[in-house]
Amino acid sequence: MRGPLHDPGHPASVGLPAGMEDPDRAEQFVPAGLASLQIEADEIELAVMNAAHEMFWPPIRALLSLDLGDIEPERNPDLSRAPEKV
Amino acid sequence: MRALDLSLRGQAAVIAAGEVDPAELLDATLARIEERNPAINAVVATFPEESRAMLASAPDGPLHGVPVVIKDEWPLPWRAQRFGAAELLAPTAPGESGPYRALREAGAVVVGVGNMHELGSGSTGNVSVYGPCRNPWDTDRCPGGSSSGPAAATAAGLVAGAVGADGLGSVRFPAAYCGLTGLKPTFGRSAMAGHHMAAVTTLIVSGPLCTDAADCRLLGSALFGEELPAGDAAGLKIGVVRDTVSEDVTPEVREACEAAIEALRTETGGEIREIELADLEMATLAGILVINGESLGGVPAERLNHLHPDVSPINRGFLKYRMLLPAAAIAQAGRVRTLMRRRLAALFEDVDAIAWPTIPATAPPLEAPLVELPSGTHTADQANVRGAALANLTGIPAISVPVGVGSEGLPIALQLQGAWGTDALLLDAAEALERANGRRWVDARPPLAQAEPTV
Repeated sequence: MRGPLHDPGHPASVGLPAGMEDPDRAEQFVPAGLASLQIEADEIELAVMNAAHEMFWPPIRALLSLDLGDIEPERNPDLSRAPEKV
Repeated sequence: MRALDLSLRGQAAVIAAGEVDPAELLDATLARIEERNPAINAVVATFPEESRAMLASAPDGPLHGVPVVIKDEWPLPWRAQRFGAAELLAPTAPGESGPYRALREAGAVVVGVGNMHELGSGSTGNVSVYGPCRNPWDTDRCPGGSSSGPAAATAAGLVAGAVGADGLGSVRFPAAYCGLTGLKPTFGRSAMAGHHMAAVTTLIVSGPLCTDAADCRLLGSALFGEELPAGDAAGLKIGVVRDTVSEDVTPEVREACEAAIEALRTETGGEIREIELADLEMATLAGILVINGESLGGVPAERLNHLHPDVSPINRGFLKYRMLLPAAAIAQAGRVRTLMRRRLAALFEDVDAIAWPTIPATAPPLEAPLVELPSGTHTADQANVRGAALANLTGIPAISVPVGVGSEGLPIALQLQGAWGTDALLLDAAEALERANGRRWVDARPPLAQAEPTV
């Protein structure tokens, strides 16, 4: 079901539409995300974004599924040097 | 003029010895650019008056009077950078950038601005507001990016060295595609001031692109503001990883790189150790997320509705897509960064350098930058970044060294990555590899540079 949040002409104020069934599908995620930010896009740009989404979203989902809770990020790391031993 | 075809250090030496008038070398370089550049579109701006003024006040530094090209990524006192794009979503203005000051203090002369992949967002160099840059080895092929112009200009013999920038491989890819040596320094060691992302980037560094490691050492020392001392890399312990980065490559790349690693081991009297480096794909994604997060630059979303019409469709689309990247993923990328830095620190207690191919396949066609790998067809960007992002994400130095020419007459390159601060050691290792190969690959020149010089 496609609601007004899918239409860049009718931007959402917050979040993604409850009707978005599968964020892995670019044709749902991209227009909804753009609408939520009031960003317009033409067909070519949408095609680029759909391709980008298909490329990046699966590994992003994989990244978000990793349990990295026991890794304490470096605070203001000095990237010119090795990390301090923990 | 014979001096035009000397190495960077060769040009510096003949000028220092009084054998060549640097003003004549500058004029000859400008004439060479006029002659050869139309075939490759590597240099997008020259400014003879400013170059002559720079020469007139050049100090007696190690690069006194030597012409160099700088990527369209930093401002010059007389020209703002354009970043290869019709529009940059960041304020820019002419000014004295860090690399410009470093070159000036070394006595070098900035003779031109090098083309680059639009917004630094590609590894191929085929997209630019100035038009595509072309590979001197085959002008229907990609020169690599994003430092396409600096690499193509050096490979074609327009200049003997150039300054590029590397955020996710952007010095190493064009070095590899164009048969050059390119150093991605340890993060924070080379001049970066004046870059429009200098205050926020934790990935991008300036770096030299030259025909060989000794020239990279000379130009790199200027960019570092300190000498990169020469050693011998004796007993080098080389780590090799049996993973996608070394195995999902074309057979000719694999063969050339494996032969080069063995030659390097023999030359240095060192050893090869198989090492484990898990989660490289996550490190690549983390690098992509970090650089995109950092480059958002406080631009309001609504601003993206008014992009310059000459920004390429692919970048218009991607500039908008990156606004949709989840903050949680960018935060998670920070933890992956920490994880990979700790893993590398442990690995570098056992090995001095990690080696794998810089690029999985030789330069693809400009019109369709795709590569055929054992795993299938990929965009060159997708395939290339897998081997490059780790160094930027973690801050370690890396160098790309030519190690062969493939069946289509295009260069093949090996990448060496070292621990933080071992930039000089990587140059030593690259020189050892040159010796092992009898300088065959660093002295190889593309057809365009072999043309009978008229200037």
